[in-house]
Amino acid sequence: MDRRHFFTGAATAVAAASVSRVALAALPDAHTQSSTATAAPLLPPDGRPYNPVVTLNGWTLPWRMNGNVKEFHLVAEPVVREMAPGFKVNMWGYNGQSPGPTIEVVEGDRVRIFVTNRLPEHTTVHWHGQRLPNGMDGVGGITQPHIPPGKTFAYEFVARRPGTFMYHPHADEMTQMAMGMMGFWVTHPKARHPLIAEVQRDFCFLLGSFDVEPGSATPKVNTMTDFNTWAFNSRVFPGIDSLNVRRGDRVRIRVGNLTMTNHPIHVHGHEFEVTGTDGGPVPKTARWPEVTTDIAVGQMRQVEFIADEEGDWALHCHKSHHTMGPMGHEVPTMIGVDHRGIAEKIQKLVPDYMVMGDKGMADMGAMEMPLPDNTLPMMAGQGPFGPAEMGGMFTLLKVRRDQRPGDYRDPGWFKHPAGTVAREVPGDSAPPAASPATPPATGSPDATVRRPAGHGGHAH
Amino acid sequence: MSLVHRPFRGRPRRSDGDRPPLSLTHRAAAAALALSLAGCASVSPDGGERDVQALVARNPIVGDAAPRRAPDDASRQAVDALLAQPLDAQAAVRIALAHGPRMQEAFATLQLSDADRAQAASLPNPVFAFGRLREGRELELDRALSFNVLGLLTLPWQARWAGQRHEVAKLQAAQSVLQLAADTRRAWVRAVAAQQAVVYLRDGQAAAEAGADLAHRMARVGNWSALQRTREQLLLADASAQLARAEQNALASREQLTRLMGLTSAQSAYRLPDRLPPLPVSMPTLTDVQASALRDRLDVRAAQAQAAATADSLGLTQATRFVDALEIGAVRNTTFSNDADGGRSTQRGVELALPIPLFDWGLARNARAEALYGQSAARVRATGLLAASESREAYGGWRSAWDVAHRYQTEVLPLRQKVNDEMLLRYNGMLSSVWELLAETRASMLAVNAAMDAQRDFWLADTDLQLALTGSSPAGLNALQTSGDSVATNPAGAH
Ligand SMILES: [Cu+2]
Repeated sequence: MDRRHFFTGAATAVAAASVSRVALAALPDAHTQSSTATAAPLLPPDGRPYNPVVTLNGWTLPWRMNGNVKEFHLVAEPVVREMAPGFKVNMWGYNGQSPGPTIEVVEGDRVRIFVTNRLPEHTTVHWHGQRLPNGMDGVGGITQPHIPPGKTFAYEFVARRPGTFMYHPHADEMTQMAMGMMGFWVTHPKARHPLIAEVQRDFCFLLGSFDVEPGSATPKVNTMTDFNTWAFNSRVFPGIDSLNVRRGDRVRIRVGNLTMTNHPIHVHGHEFEVTGTDGGPVPKTARWPEVTTDIAVGQMRQVEFIADEEGDWALHCHKSHHTMGPMGHEVPTMIGVDHRGIAEKIQKLVPDYMVMGDKGMADMGAMEMPLPDNTLPMMAGQGPFGPAEMGGMFTLLKVRRDQRPGDYRDPGWFKHPAGTVAREVPGDSAPPAASPATPPATGSPDATVRRPAGHGGHAH
Repeated sequence: MSLVHRPFRGRPRRSDGDRPPLSLTHRAAAAALALSLAGCASVSPDGGERDVQALVARNPIVGDAAPRRAPDDASRQAVDALLAQPLDAQAAVRIALAHGPRMQEAFATLQLSDADRAQAASLPNPVFAFGRLREGRELELDRALSFNVLGLLTLPWQARWAGQRHEVAKLQAAQSVLQLAADTRRAWVRAVAAQQAVVYLRDGQAAAEAGADLAHRMARVGNWSALQRTREQLLLADASAQLARAEQNALASREQLTRLMGLTSAQSAYRLPDRLPPLPVSMPTLTDVQASALRDRLDVRAAQAQAAATADSLGLTQATRFVDALEIGAVRNTTFSNDADGGRSTQRGVELALPIPLFDWGLARNARAEALYGQSAARVRATGLLAASESREAYGGWRSAWDVAHRYQTEVLPLRQKVNDEMLLRYNGMLSSVWELLAETRASMLAVNAAMDAQRDFWLADTDLQLALTGSSPAGLNALQTSGDSVATNPAGAH
């Protein structure tokens, strides 16, 4: 995370307006963001007060008050999003980034959003989950004309109910969402709400999936299922910031799913309750404790818990391919295949060839081998104890007793109290690592379990 | 008797200028000279070796190689020394020209022509006739020594004409030398390329073998089905068949080279270099390929020389149109009466035998000669057209062969390598499997092979171009020789 932003404040974290004031004299500034760092929460300078959210690897869009109307200016445009250090993807987004900036308002606010289209094709914005006049719902051709390239449209409605929402195009959705057009919307309650708790940390992110051919930079928009880049707010591990909290904080995490499959989001070390959906706060009687919540396609969930266990806790999608970078789904399983004699033969033809995968895929996490340009390794990230072997929808919830209120900086790796880390059992009582099985004499596959050769010497 | 040569209508000028037709008196003088020289007409002692060497010297196809009529000890030793080293194209040409059976055949043909020339330059032998006649008691002995005067008179002409034909034969022998050198060069190029192909296909086969082995082990531990394993085996079988074909091709092209060099099986274990010479770095521009072909090509020169010789022979035909067997002889008849007085009487005189042009006015012979001249004139034109066209074609072929080979080396192969490198990166990222990596490797071997084919084709085109510009028709001597035979074997005089 870029520390500078936390000290300089949100107002300067966003760059000056890049849209000509002369041309858009009547419009509010189109703020733009060039950093992928998690911006500090934007404390509301005017309007009704509220407790702001933190957008993971993102930012909140500043507004201007025009009378009693909150005016925002979204610019739909092509952007280059750095999904992880060194991995840049050509996307379509809003105001310099994908996802677009989070829009935060307060229940009862009258909101006017100017949308300028700088895409090569028309677009619209749908305000997912809002109560609004039908003509403001943003379904191109149905409730409004499309916004042609170069034009600006205004949406205006009252944020009637508090909750967690999204915005995304409802025009050529397949392309525009595959290209990364999405954004978060939070409507804060205007007063204390019996079902909405006060929290010390309020994080939000959107789930997105992209299919970026290794070595290329533009997502394949026609892909429907075989995505290779699974993202929280268009960032992939190890490029995703951690969620840094003070021990004892009440933490809310809001997650929206704009991919084409469900994601079981799982938190380690704590149990949480789902306190809200896109439909609003969940009645207390309907809540139950969980460590994983499945977020279906097009859904939003807000989960809450008390972060009372110190440590670096994994927070990730539980689909194991979704915590991986790009991989070859057609690569056959090499486990247990004896390479003796063959590896040398291949090396004669391909001098840089190395055997991989014969013991599993973990080789990938440990080896640092050259990859195609602009391509993440399938598994990456280093922890204090070794390779993390993770990628995609994975991050850490870092709970520290000394994390100061309002301080979102990464505290570094957890310092475990003595004797609290899993350790090697001394002595030789542990079995040695599995060796390649002796192949059976017959040609038929040996479908029995290949036990590691224990020190008892019984291989089979 | 006035056998003045009448100018032949439309008779072309001889190469030596527009000399007026010789009168018989002049010819008699020439005949006298020829008589005195008759003893000198002999076959050339070296079988034309030096003359042919001079004709092909400094030709780019032949280089510093010298055509030899027959191998001697020195040339055999030189051949052995060349065979001890990896054999480059120039060495192969040197061996073929010193040792090749086709070279000896060409020189033998040249010697035949030389013998004809010597024959034509020799005086006809005088004829001695003897008759013994008896009538009752009377005995008559007729002795006549006769001499073919016409043969004598036309001897210088015959000699000159035979000499011209021999010059043509030398040009043809020189073309044979160039053809042999070109064939040897081509065979060498093919043999080296074929041998190189085997090396690369062997690598391709090794890649397929590694894939098939690994597939087998995959199936054995249950990771792959029989279908997947069998597919890899199929690739191996295919690669092996390809390799076998390439090996056979390498053997055949090497044997072709061995034959052209005239090597025995004991000598056939020579080594070839691992690769063909690199392409020339850039294409030279030839300003006028046709002009150089028309100026330098030996077949053009031979056709011209032949036409000149034929034209010359027309004069002879014209001169002997009516009298093709004028004979003059000294006759001495002695009659023995065989009576008591033993009387004898002797008659002496001169006899001139002259056919009366009653039935054969020489028209047919004349028509034949004219036709022959027309034929050779047409051949000059055809050869010129052939040379110009072939030079354009060969130059075009050379340029496009260079282009293709150059493109392979500067574009296809580097790109192919880049694909391999990228595939390895994908393999590193577990984005693709080792089989895809091996498949790219196999594809690379084939690309290298295609590049080598292009390089081979360039060197073949290069040989064709040299031959088309400076030597002869790259298509071979056959066309020329079959049409030339009618003149070579039917001298106009038909003695
Ligand atoms: Cu997932």
